[in-house]
Amino acid sequence: MEAIEVTDLRKSYGDTRAVDGVTFTVRAGETFGIIGHNGAGKTTTVECLIGLRRADAGTVRVLGEDPARRRRALAHRLGVQLQDSSLPERIKVAEALRMFGSFYRDAADWRRVMERWGLRPLARKAFGDLSGGQKQRLMLALALVGNPEVVVLDELTTGLDPIARRETWRLIGDLKTAGTTVVLVSHYFDEIEALCDRVAVFARGRAEATGTTGELIARTGTASLEEAYLALEGADR
Amino acid sequence: MKAFTALTAAELRLLSRDPASLFFMVAFPLMLLVLKRGDSGAVPGYLAMIAAIGGMGALPGLLASYRERKVLKRLATTPISPVMLLGAQLVAQVAAGLAGSVLLVVVTIAVFGAQAPGDVLMLAAAFLLCSVMACALGFVVAAVVRNTRGASLIGMLVMFPMIFLSGAAVPRKALPGSLRQIGDFLPLTPAVEALGDAWSGTAAVFPLLILAGIIVAATAAGAALFRWE
Ligand SMILES: Nc1ncnc2c1ncn2[C@@H]1O[C@H](COP(=O)(O)OP(=O)(O)OP(=O)(O)O)[C@@H](O)[C@H]1O
Ligand SMILES: [Mg+2]
Repeated sequence: MEAIEVTDLRKSYGDTRAVDGVTFTVRAGETFGIIGHNGAGKTTTVECLIGLRRADAGTVRVLGEDPARRRRALAHRLGVQLQDSSLPERIKVAEALRMFGSFYRDAADWRRVMERWGLRPLARKAFGDLSGGQKQRLMLALALVGNPEVVVLDELTTGLDPIARRETWRLIGDLKTAGTTVVLVSHYFDEIEALCDRVAVFARGRAEATGTTGELIARTGTASLEEAYLALEGADR
Repeated sequence: MKAFTALTAAELRLLSRDPASLFFMVAFPLMLLVLKRGDSGAVPGYLAMIAAIGGMGALPGLLASYRERKVLKRLATTPISPVMLLGAQLVAQVAAGLAGSVLLVVVTIAVFGAQAPGDVLMLAAAFLLCSVMACALGFVVAAVVRNTRGASLIGMLVMFPMIFLSGAAVPRKALPGSLRQIGDFLPLTPAVEALGDAWSGTAAVFPLLILAGIIVAATAAGAALFRWE
């Protein structure tokens, strides 16, 4: 079954064609990567998936629903980490987790989520006093506190230290084991290779190629994901 | 309901951690009362002032900063609806204002030996309507002005003349005629009237109806103009 189907998605901001005909599908239980240059349209695509933006054209289906029309119903089954967002400066870590947990019909135990993401020592710290990586970790934990069926993570390990990064990979691996569908946007090849079943390479508002790492390497006649990526990105520059 | 309660509780906790809110909604009215040597005639006006400071002085900047810092955007990816979010903000502001007001009334009676309000129920009703109205006007400001500094500034620009011309900070009798006339058109004026009437025990329903009308109009405008981003 397909968890996500995006067909010929288009979205412009004024004269900027941010997404210019993107098509891909994500199977249920799959971990799907999106990689591409700055401004390629990754965040815009992701924001259409979660119902934050309405597409100009094309169709988007998440768990069989149109996110632009059914945002709130879908939100119960969706976990999201945005590339750029924050919380009130003075809210404490434990308070944020408990509050977000209360939003969802079928939430996880927020204390266990706090424990798993190593946030327990920070429980009483205010969001405004956290370091960048600590904030990032909290935002990841908040994406999972609702026990989602589909998780969308926009740049999940940007700003994390090497150990926190590996730890995050392990926790994303756990999600896969539990059958959760994951879409993750990343600029790191090692991350994509370690975590993703399939990957889409975005360039200039389009998904230039989609497939397993092995397929992309074979198609471009290169030796690594990085080389395959460079070949695809540069294809029609 | 669980989500709404949690959101409201969190917002109240945040308000209680904000020194500016605490000062202006609790300490400042008490200071004014002491300066007035406990004159209970000024208290209904101060109650209106507490409500105006919360709803128009603080709320627009707070909401705009949530929007600017993408807090609202993050909340928009959860099952929370805009109505729930604004409702929680409103309940938190009203509750904080109510706490400051109760304290002020108790001090007026217990410390300065004033007579208890003539009609406590009507006084409570008038305060609730006044506070909800101030928040509804605050929502309109936050919906129209998108950045934090602008929203705070416009909120203040709406609040200050209202406080001074509606009889909240100074009795309208003390104002020159032309300024008093401007006051006739400000939404806080019927609120001060309703609070004063309830305090003296001669409560009338008409000013409360006016407040309710303003609330409905401002809420409709605020909800129509609201944007997560
Ligand atoms: N709110 C906006 N208003 C106007 N233009 C925008 C807006 N958001 C994005 N854009 C433009 O749309 C294009 C795609 O942006 P998007 O954020 O989707 O890229 P991205 O692939 O996520 O990039 P990055 O790797 O830098 O995060 C860019 O050219 C960007 O300038
Ligand atoms: Mg992006």
